[in-house]
Amino acid sequence: MTSTMSFRWAMLAPVLTITGVAVGFPLGYALYLSLTDYRLTSRGAPNFIGLENYLFVLTDPRMWNAFSNTLAYVIVAVALQTVLGLTIALALQKQKWIRDLTRAMLLAPMFITPIAVGLTFRFLLNDQLGAIPAALRSIGISIDFFGPGNALMTLALIDVWQWTPFMVLLLLAGLESIPRQPIEAAKVDGASAWYTFRRVVLPLLTPVLTVAVLLRSLDALKVFEYVYATTRGGPGIETETIQYFTYQTGIQFFRLGEASAVAFVLLAIVMTLIVILFRRLQRSAPR
Amino acid sequence: MSTRRRGLLASMGLAAALALTISGCAGSGGVDAPDSSGLGDIPADTEGTVRILMESVPDTDIVVDLVASFNETYPGIEVEIETLAFDQMRDKLIASFQSSEPAYDLIVVDNPWMDDFVDAGFLEPLDARIDSTTDYQPEDFFQPLVDITEVEGVRYGVPFYNYALGYLYRTDLYDEAGMAVPNTLDELVANVQQLTTSDRAGIAMQPQRGYKIFEEWANWLFAAGGSIYDETGNPTLDTPEAAAALDAYIEAFTTAAPANSSNWAFDEAFRSVSSGQSASMISYNWNLPGLNDPDGASGELAGSFALAPMPGGKQVLGSWSWAIPANSAASDAAWAFAAWITSPAVDVERVVAGGAAIRESTLSNPTVLESGFGEDYYAAIIAILSDAAPLSQGLGGEEMIQAVGTELSEAVAGTKTVEEALADAQAAVERIQR
Repeated sequence: MTSTMSFRWAMLAPVLTITGVAVGFPLGYALYLSLTDYRLTSRGAPNFIGLENYLFVLTDPRMWNAFSNTLAYVIVAVALQTVLGLTIALALQKQKWIRDLTRAMLLAPMFITPIAVGLTFRFLLNDQLGAIPAALRSIGISIDFFGPGNALMTLALIDVWQWTPFMVLLLLAGLESIPRQPIEAAKVDGASAWYTFRRVVLPLLTPVLTVAVLLRSLDALKVFEYVYATTRGGPGIETETIQYFTYQTGIQFFRLGEASAVAFVLLAIVMTLIVILFRRLQRSAPR
Repeated sequence: MSTRRRGLLASMGLAAALALTISGCAGSGGVDAPDSSGLGDIPADTEGTVRILMESVPDTDIVVDLVASFNETYPGIEVEIETLAFDQMRDKLIASFQSSEPAYDLIVVDNPWMDDFVDAGFLEPLDARIDSTTDYQPEDFFQPLVDITEVEGVRYGVPFYNYALGYLYRTDLYDEAGMAVPNTLDELVANVQQLTTSDRAGIAMQPQRGYKIFEEWANWLFAAGGSIYDETGNPTLDTPEAAAALDAYIEAFTTAAPANSSNWAFDEAFRSVSSGQSASMISYNWNLPGLNDPDGASGELAGSFALAPMPGGKQVLGSWSWAIPANSAASDAAWAFAAWITSPAVDVERVVAGGAAIRESTLSNPTVLESGFGEDYYAAIIAILSDAAPLSQGLGGEEMIQAVGTELSEAVAGTKTVEEALADAQAAVERIQR
């Protein structure tokens, strides 16, 4: 019995060590910082202030504004990516010629670093220099892409441009792994293409779809580079996302304790969402 | 002892060790400042390596080009200059300050950082070195630049580069319209409106949230007779002058700035002016040589730009200052380089090469006046640097600038009224000062 236990622990030791060093220590350190008044410019030991940082950030309207901006960004970006990604994946599944080349070209935006994408769009959407406003002007449309009311949606669309290929990749893999028999059976029964998609393909694709949406949502929650490269959170506080808010608080304004508290509040919310999604996924999985 | 009890004790021990390790990480960085000789005149046979962090901009290239000349005087001092984009500099500096093995021996400090760095004990006081350096002539530096280096009466830096703003405009368009350079805020608004046509904006503005909008608008505030702080250092952002300045700023933006430019910063505004799509802009004084360079971005428009102080005569001042980190491993060698590059003779060389002025005597030096940028340009710089003030005073400069810049952006975006935005800006600065 004891030797079995020792063997189990010995087998677990490498992964526990790596997890402890790579995840546990930074997490523990951030938790510790969130309970102190630590500033980046401090040279002495910080003071323990209990939950003061948490009380401050939870009652700070700027934090909640940043959170709601981020949420709106994620919902718009991921919803569009899902619809577009699924549409493109369905089209690619039927493609017969130059499949590899098309897929490779479609994936290209994913390989560009997000800060470069942000800077590129900053000038591409510039009213005096950019190609997109020039094209729109030729048909009588004038839009201030980074202006009031538009900036957050513009950032979400940049995200859609860069990350829809990721959705395509996952959903195409999901579509190609669906067994052919149920689809063929539906066809034999005279089901229309739309009915087959809605009643057969979509339910079979749900586990992949859920994982894809989850992965993209978690990634979109981290939006920082586009904001940094284009709007810096403006106009006003319209595009101030939670990551940009945390960066400003912790790095730009030196208040690392407070920034750690914001990060932990976000972590708690995200973890809750992940648990809920995974439970749903488990319940909907075929037994 | 049972296995379970042993496990519990081991877990508690591990948790205690982890807690001690974690708490030991914060605030434990940095080393006690090495003893500084405080010498002003550094012997020519001094040996050492001076590692410098600078911004990757043309002014740094000018400094790099002068290093060989420095080594003729100090052959034993090796100068290593690392360049970074502005946004990365402060984080690297703080990491170096906190490290037991500092990465830099000499640095340049942006003006909003100065008080925070001094308060944290990151910088070496330089009074003794400055006062004991032979023929250094520190009184020759423009006083507003020196004021930025002083914290509670002690100098922690010497000026390196001025970022004072001024009004850059197209002389041909002003002549064509029969207008004179504006002397009041109302004239500025009227002029830029008159310069606006269907294919050209009267003024390229920089209303991007944060630093840019505050840096630009503060010039309008000064022109309206307002100020950022009163004489005792309290913020004065909710005054009638501030409201008039913000009203005028918004009016100019809505009637004379390029369409859809509410997120513009320096790059966009400069391109707009240099390409002839805007007739003027408020920007750093040393942009004039670039705009008038026939081989530069302006092309055929080169030579048609001029510089003037802001209406009312007062403008915003930014600056870089040389400073020696308290944990510098080669503080004497660092001072040798800082004192040499800012000395009257070398400053002339630097300005002739295109560097920004820091000394009054440099701008009356015949070599500088004959160097090609024109006497009018240097006369305008003297006027600008004689009456200029930074955006922030005291601790939390960066946060103060961002907070005010956010409120101004809200007013321009129309999500707050002018009065609400200024009241909130005032409250934010008061909170940061507490």
